[in-house]
Amino acid sequence: MANRREYVRDQLKGGSPVFAVSLPDGILLLGVGGGQSKVFELFDRHALAGLGHPADIEKVRQAAIDAAHLEAFTRAAEDVSLRRLISFGLSPQLKTQFDQIFSAPFLVELLLAELGAGPAQDSLFRLHFDGAFQVQAGGAVMAASQPEAESAGQTWLNEALRGKTGRTEAADLLLQAWWCQVQNKWLAESVPDEAQRQAGWRAAVTGKTVEIGWLARHGPRPARYQTLSLSELGLT
Amino acid sequence: MSGTKIAGDFLSLLAEQKLLSSDSAPAGGAPVQTQATTVFAFHFAEGVLMAGDRRATAGNVIVTDRVEKIIEVDSTSLLAIAGVPATAFEMARVLQTSFEYYRRSQLQPLSLPARVRALARLLRDNLSMKLQGIGVVVPLFAGVDHSVSPAQARIYFYDPLGAQFQAAGYAASGSGSGTIRSILSFQERHASPKPSEMDLRQAVRFALSLLITASEFDSATGGVNPDTETFATIKLLKVSGVETITDQQQKEFLHD
Repeated sequence: MANRREYVRDQLKGGSPVFAVSLPDGILLLGVGGGQSKVFELFDRHALAGLGHPADIEKVRQAAIDAAHLEAFTRAAEDVSLRRLISFGLSPQLKTQFDQIFSAPFLVELLLAELGAGPAQDSLFRLHFDGAFQVQAGGAVMAASQPEAESAGQTWLNEALRGKTGRTEAADLLLQAWWCQVQNKWLAESVPDEAQRQAGWRAAVTGKTVEIGWLARHGPRPARYQTLSLSELGLT
Repeated sequence: MSGTKIAGDFLSLLAEQKLLSSDSAPAGGAPVQTQATTVFAFHFAEGVLMAGDRRATAGNVIVTDRVEKIIEVDSTSLLAIAGVPATAFEMARVLQTSFEYYRRSQLQPLSLPARVRALARLLRDNLSMKLQGIGVVVPLFAGVDHSVSPAQARIYFYDPLGAQFQAAGYAASGSGSGTIRSILSFQERHASPKPSEMDLRQAVRFALSLLITASEFDSATGGVNPDTETFATIKLLKVSGVETITDQQQKEFLHD
């Protein structure tokens, strides 16, 4: 098992991290990719972001969409919950796949977001390749390939986001965190200052695709997910 | 992680999970069915207006005057139901889930022709119920066609077996549809403005007048009466999306 864990982490090394942050008006998800999508709508109030092998992300995404829509159709849209979807569906399947010696484990690190009535009711799930997961109400979550750097980055991010309520400033900070992560700045002696971080992410996203998903807390329709661009957020 | 048999097809997923309901023959005589009428749609200057009364009847009994027969399937589709609500509401729910399932799983919206045929498929699947004289549904459908530039809202009507037809200017269904079609035809050919030239205010007032007139000739069609807070369901389909004309707005348009 230790070997498999090392193998997966080695395969995921260099993967571009993804983020989710709960704000007063909704949940913002962000990922930077080189062509493959990293941020997805799952259901009316649910979204997923992940890094890893595109085919494996796709299998998890499809399984989550199938389960959510079956649940909504056989019961009601209000009954679709990430807690049940992950606890009883995705997590056991990932663990089974990871435990089976003669099959390849899923090469994924994921985060999933569920929009609540307010930020305190938002649920952010961090789901790992072996089926382990953590959940938190509100705040910010980051999914990266290396646990130590992820932990350091998430600590910085939650501190930096304190008191920030707008999605533009939140997206800016997530991009700064993304740049620090891909440049391995978290475990250095000191994190670069804001000017360096700003210049860093703006230079680093050139030629890449910044994907931003937004789960709006209020809206006329049940489906609350929409995609945003950097220019829509005033970040170009 | 199991996949679906047909990518993006929600009915395949339901069948795979053995969740499709069977439509076996009812024992003995069929119960008196709840019916719902009247619905119609016409093109106006800003898109398509789709409207319906809110009455449901069973035989000569008025079951309720609060049925919503115009259903927003998604942000670019409207469904108007006429017939047995039990079947029609289930069809609407299947369509709502199917369209969103396809869009989310395939990362692109379902085309308008596929949406139109999806409803035809549900009507065909309901054939055995129709042949028994129960569960008859004759809906209208409106959707935005993004394959043309600029995009355009279109109206479709169906026969009970699922044949689909595109309406040039208007369509109506339900027991009060004869009256509605006659007035729409007259307005289109001999009066001014034509429905397609009406602005929003004119179109809503015209729609309310159509329902009031239909209710005078058809007991199964509920009327519009601000004194009893009885209004129609009116939705607009524009290229930009769906809008609802609220009861309050209808009251204001009537008193303009």
